[in-house]
Amino acid sequence: MLPNPLVQLTNVTFTYPGADRPVLKDINVTIYEGEFTAIIGGNGSGKSTLCKTFNGLIPQFYVGDFEGEVVLNTMKTSEHTVAQLSRNIGYVYQDFENQLVRPTVIDDVSFVPLNYGLADYRQRGEWALNITGLSALRNEFIWQLSGGQMHLLALAGALAMKPKLLIIDEPIAQLDPNHAKQVYDILKKLNNEFGITIIVIEHHTEFIADYCKEVILMDQGELVWKKDVKEALSQVRELLHRNIFPPQVTQAAYALLEKDSQDSLLPIRMDEAIKHFSTYIQRKVPLPPFRPTCMTENREVIRFNHVSLEYRTLKKERKRVLYEVDTSFYQGDLVALVGNNGAGKSSLLKLIAGIVKPSDGQVVVLGKTTREASPEVLSETVSYIYQSPEEMFIDDSIRKDIEYYLRVRKIPDYELIVDKLLVDFNLVDIQHQDGRLLSGGQQRRASLAIGAAMNPAVILLDEPTANLDVATKQQVIQMLGKLQNHVQTVIVATHDMQLVAEWANRIIVMNSGSIISDGSRYDIFGNEDVMRKAGLVPPQILQLSRKLCLEPPCFTIDEFTSRLDTVEAEGVQLELCKGYA
Amino acid sequence: MNYVKDMREKLNIEYVKSELIKTAYGGKETFLASLHPRTLIIWYLFFGIVPWFIHNKIVLSCFLVLMVVLTIMARVSPLIIVILCVGLLGEIGFLLLVSLVFGGGLASLIPMFWLTVKLAVIALASIAVFTSMDPERFSDALLSFGVPGQASFSVSFGYRILPTLVEEFQRVFLSYRLRGKAPETHGIFYWRTASYYLKLLVLSFYPLILNSAKRSRTTVEALETKGFSYSFTNSEVKKMKLAHLTYTYKDPLFLIGTVAYISFAFWLGTFLVDAE
Repeated sequence: MLPNPLVQLTNVTFTYPGADRPVLKDINVTIYEGEFTAIIGGNGSGKSTLCKTFNGLIPQFYVGDFEGEVVLNTMKTSEHTVAQLSRNIGYVYQDFENQLVRPTVIDDVSFVPLNYGLADYRQRGEWALNITGLSALRNEFIWQLSGGQMHLLALAGALAMKPKLLIIDEPIAQLDPNHAKQVYDILKKLNNEFGITIIVIEHHTEFIADYCKEVILMDQGELVWKKDVKEALSQVRELLHRNIFPPQVTQAAYALLEKDSQDSLLPIRMDEAIKHFSTYIQRKVPLPPFRPTCMTENREVIRFNHVSLEYRTLKKERKRVLYEVDTSFYQGDLVALVGNNGAGKSSLLKLIAGIVKPSDGQVVVLGKTTREASPEVLSETVSYIYQSPEEMFIDDSIRKDIEYYLRVRKIPDYELIVDKLLVDFNLVDIQHQDGRLLSGGQQRRASLAIGAAMNPAVILLDEPTANLDVATKQQVIQMLGKLQNHVQTVIVATHDMQLVAEWANRIIVMNSGSIISDGSRYDIFGNEDVMRKAGLVPPQILQLSRKLCLEPPCFTIDEFTSRLDTVEAEGVQLELCKGYA
Repeated sequence: MNYVKDMREKLNIEYVKSELIKTAYGGKETFLASLHPRTLIIWYLFFGIVPWFIHNKIVLSCFLVLMVVLTIMARVSPLIIVILCVGLLGEIGFLLLVSLVFGGGLASLIPMFWLTVKLAVIALASIAVFTSMDPERFSDALLSFGVPGQASFSVSFGYRILPTLVEEFQRVFLSYRLRGKAPETHGIFYWRTASYYLKLLVLSFYPLILNSAKRSRTTVEALETKGFSYSFTNSEVKKMKLAHLTYTYKDPLFLIGTVAYISFAFWLGTFLVDAE
């Protein structure tokens, strides 16, 4: 027996006023009760727009040209208000911090049931806090929460009604791997134990493989298909064509396929992959060239001399964020700063930029002690790129934003420098637009160009790939490559292990305010203890190659596929490593 | 030089932010805070309006004494007191200057002093009341007086986003500094540096406003999905929202006490004037 349909869309087409083409084109789809569905598609493919038709936000809130019919749980959305429809739908936004409207945690989480006049609103709030693990924070003010906690609270707020359907727009975009897993475990529990239907808009296909049951593919306003997760992620060629990247193990399996067996099902999860690849033969290849741990031969650019940092909280307690950090950065270093949320990565960057001064010890940047130099003076050698590009847009077009630094310093012929940067960072066509109105990827490129315009010796980036789809992320990694030609040292704070594995030549691992490890990708990813302690999860292809005993392990899919073969005679049969069984 | 540095460290945006939050949401243990917010608003309606029409110096002085006592009882943040004093002194100085320019003498100082007392009574009354009543209680009190739900909610929401706005303001301000160029010399009395910072303070508001406008789109949409507008169609919801506000014996006590004190002040005022 088929489960009951929960949402049914029939011939839905929607065009924003003034737009020349529809954002949703003739969509027909049914979501059944109990589904756990991922919606995938590039930026601007209509994923969020689609979800906003379910609770009537489109066309009631966003007025436009709407055709077709949406039925939610036997209610036609055209005949009910958004508020009536929302009784059964919880919605967590991508910019979730803007959906927290009450001052304290318990008030915010009970807000929805209170609005619907449910007498047990308090208990419902408590229940939702309990499910999301926030009960201890009940009486906190929301501006004291961390980003991850705010996200969980937004989720709890959407849950308090025990809705039939929960929609989450990019649930793990800004989280470290452990917190990301925690969020998905909660969603899985809600789906299994409470029967809540879940729809996520998600770029991380590895999480889709592990948790979701169905996948909907959107492209330029069209719903291309809805398939079972294994079948969906096995469409490697089609997905890559649309700039969506299936799990690394699936991509590797696809690359090694015989040409005639294109449409078979591929492994999408780690356990499946191990089974799949254990029939392969390892080719004998020369070891990849050894990369030096760090460039100590080179000139020292930044020096941390026993640096500690403390600040005072609202309750006047002292909180230590960095403790006895003692290290140097050299010319040519491409440093990835990794560690869980709150490990002190951002604080380290801010110390170099002179935004905060050390409580103890010294930071010296190219001979200047940051304690004595104002941020304005340090900006001539260091440029700091914020995590959210919007806060870097201080003028009304990105061209003016890029030239601001040069203009106030009256650099001769600065227009020429700006012209070149606009070409380098692929911004020529949009140079006169306001940065706030650009897409995520464009904003990120603009912020990199702003940093490069300062012609710094050191460039610091805080989470440069957060909130980007994979295709845009690849562009940013390319742009980071371009930055290398402009600067001496690049330091990136990130959770993105793929970026770390493919780009960095030096990795520094931080944990509760201290550096716990510092070395090449072989040193760091090879050290299980450090990885576990810092809550790091290596890229999937690296995990796989280690589980298959490939020595040295592979960091990219290309490396992996070039080492395996099906029929090579003089190879070694792959075996599962005992340690991982 | 050291003094300036010291001042700068104390008077940073962090400090202002924490004081604002403390003023808004802190200090819940005081006597005034334990009153029903409706009581406080009714009380405030009297002391916010009536002093404008009182010219009797004795009565005004009595009012001022009451306000000072209540302000101390309300444990108002020193920052707010300093701002108030600077405001009042600045105003008196400015009026004096105007009167001197237009041919008045120092004699004009006396009436100005009494005007300032009047202003101080009203200002202290506002501070004592609004420090003792967090935005949530104030918003609920408005709702209980029959103010539309949207309006009373906007009071509470306005406070809720204040810390977020201050933080964002800090980051935008920093954006200007990280790409800007500070004057090379401070100038006499730091005027170059001061005017550089003042200019940035003003400029930082534009990106802040634009960013907030963009973000508020999500907030408005989210309110709709959270059933906010639905709550106005159901009178039960209002009752539930206000259920936590209760009157205690302290409320009538406070109002009766105040009425008695006011009567005493007026009696004393007329008695002493008659005696003259």
